[in-house]
Amino acid sequence: MFIKRLPAFEYHTPSSVGEALDLMERHGNNGRYIAGGTDLLIAMKKREAVPDHLISLSGVDSLKGITPDDTGVRIGALTTLAEIERSEIIGKQYLALRDAVGVMASIQVRNLATIGGNLCSAVPSADSAPPLMALNASVKLVGPEGERTVPLETFFTGPKSSILKSREILAEISIPKPGPASSGCYLKLMRRHAMDLALVGVAACLKLDSDRKVCKEARITLGAVAPTPIRVPEVEAELVNKEINETVAEEAAQIAGMECRPITDLRASLDYRCDAVTVLTKRAVIETLKRITG
Amino acid sequence: MKQDIVLKVNGTTYTVNVESHRTLVEVLRDTLGLTGTKKSCNEGECGACTVLMDGKPVASCLVLAVAAQGKEITTIEGLAAGVKLHPVQEAFVKHTAIQCGFCTPGMVLTTKALLDENPDPTTREARRAISGNLCRCTGYQQIVDAMMAAAATMKKEMSS
Amino acid sequence: MKNYKVVGKSVERTDARVKVTGSARYAGDLLAPGMLHGKLLRSPTAHARIVNIDTSKARAMPGVMAVITGKDFPGIPFGTRPDIRDQLPMPITKVHHFGEGVAAVAAVDEDTAEAALDLIEVDYEELPVVLTAQDALAPDAPLVNEFKDSNIAYFSDFVFGDVDKGFEEADHIREETFSSQRVSVGFVEPHACLAEVDANGRVLLQASKQSPYITWRHMCRAMDIPLSGMRIVNPFVGGGFSGKHDPFDVDFAAVKLAQITGKPVKIVLNYDEVLAAYRQRNAMDARLKIGVKNNGAITALWAENILEGGPISGIGPFNIYFFGAFLNIPYKIPAIEYHGKLVYSNRAPCGTVRGQEIVLAQFCIDSLLHMIGEDIGVDQVELRAINAVPDDWTCANGIKVDVAGLSECIEKSAQRVGWKESRKSRPEGRGIGFSCASHPSGPRLGGHFGSAVMLKLLENGQVIITQGATEIGQGSNTVFCQMAAEELGLPFEDIIQGVSDSDSTIFDSGMFGDRATYWDGNATIAAARDLKKLLAEIVAPSLKANPEDIEFADKRVFVREAPERGIDWLSAVRKAYYEKGAPLYGRGTWAALDIDIVDWKTGRGNLVHGLDFIATAMEVQVDKETGKVDLIKAVHGDDAGQPINPAMLEGQVNGGSAHLIGHALWEESLYDDKGVPLNYSWRDYKQPTAVDVPECIVEHVHTHDPFGPFGAKGAGEASSCSTLAAVANGISDAVGVRIKDLPITAEKILDALKAKEEK
Repeated sequence: MFIKRLPAFEYHTPSSVGEALDLMERHGNNGRYIAGGTDLLIAMKKREAVPDHLISLSGVDSLKGITPDDTGVRIGALTTLAEIERSEIIGKQYLALRDAVGVMASIQVRNLATIGGNLCSAVPSADSAPPLMALNASVKLVGPEGERTVPLETFFTGPKSSILKSREILAEISIPKPGPASSGCYLKLMRRHAMDLALVGVAACLKLDSDRKVCKEARITLGAVAPTPIRVPEVEAELVNKEINETVAEEAAQIAGMECRPITDLRASLDYRCDAVTVLTKRAVIETLKRITG
Repeated sequence: MKQDIVLKVNGTTYTVNVESHRTLVEVLRDTLGLTGTKKSCNEGECGACTVLMDGKPVASCLVLAVAAQGKEITTIEGLAAGVKLHPVQEAFVKHTAIQCGFCTPGMVLTTKALLDENPDPTTREARRAISGNLCRCTGYQQIVDAMMAAAATMKKEMSS
Repeated sequence: MKNYKVVGKSVERTDARVKVTGSARYAGDLLAPGMLHGKLLRSPTAHARIVNIDTSKARAMPGVMAVITGKDFPGIPFGTRPDIRDQLPMPITKVHHFGEGVAAVAAVDEDTAEAALDLIEVDYEELPVVLTAQDALAPDAPLVNEFKDSNIAYFSDFVFGDVDKGFEEADHIREETFSSQRVSVGFVEPHACLAEVDANGRVLLQASKQSPYITWRHMCRAMDIPLSGMRIVNPFVGGGFSGKHDPFDVDFAAVKLAQITGKPVKIVLNYDEVLAAYRQRNAMDARLKIGVKNNGAITALWAENILEGGPISGIGPFNIYFFGAFLNIPYKIPAIEYHGKLVYSNRAPCGTVRGQEIVLAQFCIDSLLHMIGEDIGVDQVELRAINAVPDDWTCANGIKVDVAGLSECIEKSAQRVGWKESRKSRPEGRGIGFSCASHPSGPRLGGHFGSAVMLKLLENGQVIITQGATEIGQGSNTVFCQMAAEELGLPFEDIIQGVSDSDSTIFDSGMFGDRATYWDGNATIAAARDLKKLLAEIVAPSLKANPEDIEFADKRVFVREAPERGIDWLSAVRKAYYEKGAPLYGRGTWAALDIDIVDWKTGRGNLVHGLDFIATAMEVQVDKETGKVDLIKAVHGDDAGQPINPAMLEGQVNGGSAHLIGHALWEESLYDDKGVPLNYSWRDYKQPTAVDVPECIVEHVHTHDPFGPFGAKGAGEASSCSTLAAVANGISDAVGVRIKDLPITAEKILDALKAKEEK
């Protein structure tokens, strides 16, 4: 009912992924991995989670850092939102993600919360998911049985649930290098102007042809309007092979408003969320176009 | 289970014997007696418990004390040099940016971190920086005025 | 205007350095040797009979020192007035709202206290809930308060002037309904207290209290201890806004647990407890009808208002009266009829909040004024100027305005916001809304109502001031130091602020309604004059002058007509101490005796002095596709008489307005149909952040109040009263939709825009 002090637990600080997996193996169902802790510690204070063992991933250096290479960029799951916000490469090449981390929570939380943690919490309004999905990111999951890499699109299975198995660790997020004539953006509608959960979040990533006229690829994703963040292929299809303008964007946006499946809750109604999806989709497409064409 | 942990706070190294489930704000306030760090929501929504960890503002209610080992922690008590206030503190005093004072330690520390990273913020950036620190008294205008004034002073001090 | 040396200057706050270094101690920071920690078990349901509470397992838990329930108190009800004593320290027979404290534990540490709560077993028998005014007034409604045989907690009915004639004379009439939601008070410091009991049984309470007098009186009554049996010392308080006047279950529990254990007991709440179970602003359902002439002059007003206020009356009777009283001002209205009811419900108890219910009255009246102004095509600024009360105005209900700078406030705010230019052209979705307001400088209520100040002269020439007013952030301490320095002819730095302690301070009747500057300010002047008189009597003989011819200025004591005949202040002080053996106190009291104790039910009378005025212009930008509102700029033309400390006054004006911006746009304490709150966390209870509030500009309009200290009026709450309608009117001006049910969410705006398009 009310927030309490933290329940007691044993705290473990492995320094490698292997060690972390071993610890989790040993403590079975009574263990939880902890990254930034900004979601888990609150859940524990509310007694929604009462693990006997907390296995901290903070000491696992291999899970940290932003590493660009020829194929794109790899972001360690333990990288904080603030580190991504400050990253030059993200600010230059992965604008949809930069937009998202800049409007998440407060600076006091962004300095603690990790990108991996945001994904693993798997709340429908998680701001990092739509842009990463639009950027065609994949996630590397490491477990006792080995590692697997899956597209982020297939990661979420419902509110607060994902394909991540209880002993698995989300280790890394890879984003392919965006080609020329491409960009993206993330727009978020909140009640307040900061420090608020998304009523609706829309990410758009577009790639134009070499003349920067015709849209060759489009990835549009929506947050907070379905049990999981969703990609809307019907909207994308409306954009591809067309010269993007207000009318095209508007038509695509209308489809987005119909494709989303939001709920009514105390933050906003279903109808309002659908309207907002339409508005934000159009704006995200136009903003992305502007970013490409300058 | 209690354990010895080593915390470096305001340049002083402390060894304290605390349970692993103690948050940093609890240890700062209850164990070290550094009550300048305030506690209100306990869920990272108000900014009252803001401290600097390696120079960056964090919600100390969302940090385990054991996890703060090895970090340089700065609380409001560590900002002034004796009676000489930090320029941010001086600006808050001069610009009447303080009313009830409960949000003030968090506001001041967040401002310090902003100016260390961005010495020349716009008012928009200043407002954004403190958007995680709730204040009910002031309407924020004089806090923003103080932030801008502190930036100007610190820049002048840097160049001289 | 007089040339003051300290008054009128933006001197540094007396507490600025203490607060900015983190060394200011608030109730939650206090420690006492052997201190125990207390926690409260809270009701999970909004309305239920308490069948049984079994505390045996909790008592048996190692580390638990005591467990109490409502039955540990004498069962004496308390309340703001004798006719509304309708609350107990902790409930005995039934719970009235979600989160009400039903039992409390004191233990050796917080973890143990918290764990012990889980071992307390309470059997509840659920009762049907009353949530809204409609529920409360339904013929077969369950009764909420066990001390009352009706759900109507209080009512006010007034008729002033000839209302029928007023409406007959009107060229235009408009009638509208308005509503306002439950909102929380929103100070950042949660409730906290530390109680100790000495070997004589005398209680010391140090708590986060806005009005220690109210806490002291109510607690002593309800715990059946004499006033002398309890001492209250106020630590720094992290904001009040009227949410910390009365004693709460936490305060009662801490004292009772300390009495039982003989050890100090501290209780500090977490903020979710505050949002769920403590003071909120009344929900309002109002209907207003206004009549105006073709030029916009108001001829009559009729209003009906129901406030839903939770399970206790608290200060609610005052709220229902105040709503009606302040329909009389700031506009000239010759005839007013008002019917107000306060009803009980099973939601969190209401007190009042910054601006009292003038806030809601002004939202209604200035929204309605805007609407009828549009009907008749009168410019919004002219409409307000035509109706603004002037100097020496007597309102229909008898409130007497001495000095009104309202016309100038309107003119200045309109000019600074660029009203005229905006009528020629403005960006799409941009608009400006106006609202005026007036707020009194502390009303006179029944019972103790005077203010007292004491100046203790130190032998080094400095003076320690203590006063009945309480510093809760508003800056009153600094203001009194400025006034004392001015009157004594000393530098500001020579006045030192002492601690408020019920053993040495006569507390004010309560810290509300912008009273401190005015009432305690006058008492400060009286105390300074008393001290000067005493010193003059000591010094006069050596200056070969009569005491009444002695003047004090620039740290000197001298003969008025011959300033060269004098001695420095310190020599005068030493003369008193070392030659006359006369360590001195200056004592001053003040009360407005020429104002009326108003009958809240009939409402007639002049209940106040020092009416301050404001005209707020709010520039807004509305996103027509999402309905989202951006506040661009707020300009407040503000008449607070002579500003004592302009910078602090600006802080009060800006803060009062920002507070109500949340109420206007998003803040709402939501409940499900069982009365369980849905958003008692700041994650979903959204108060304005720094990026949500506009750039704020205060245009001071200097006037001189004939009764106020140095001509000052109370200040700070008027901007709370003018902000709701300014926002609503700004949105209407921007996109042509009128939202009358607060909060004006983006969703409501978008729905209204769609409805407008369909027409």
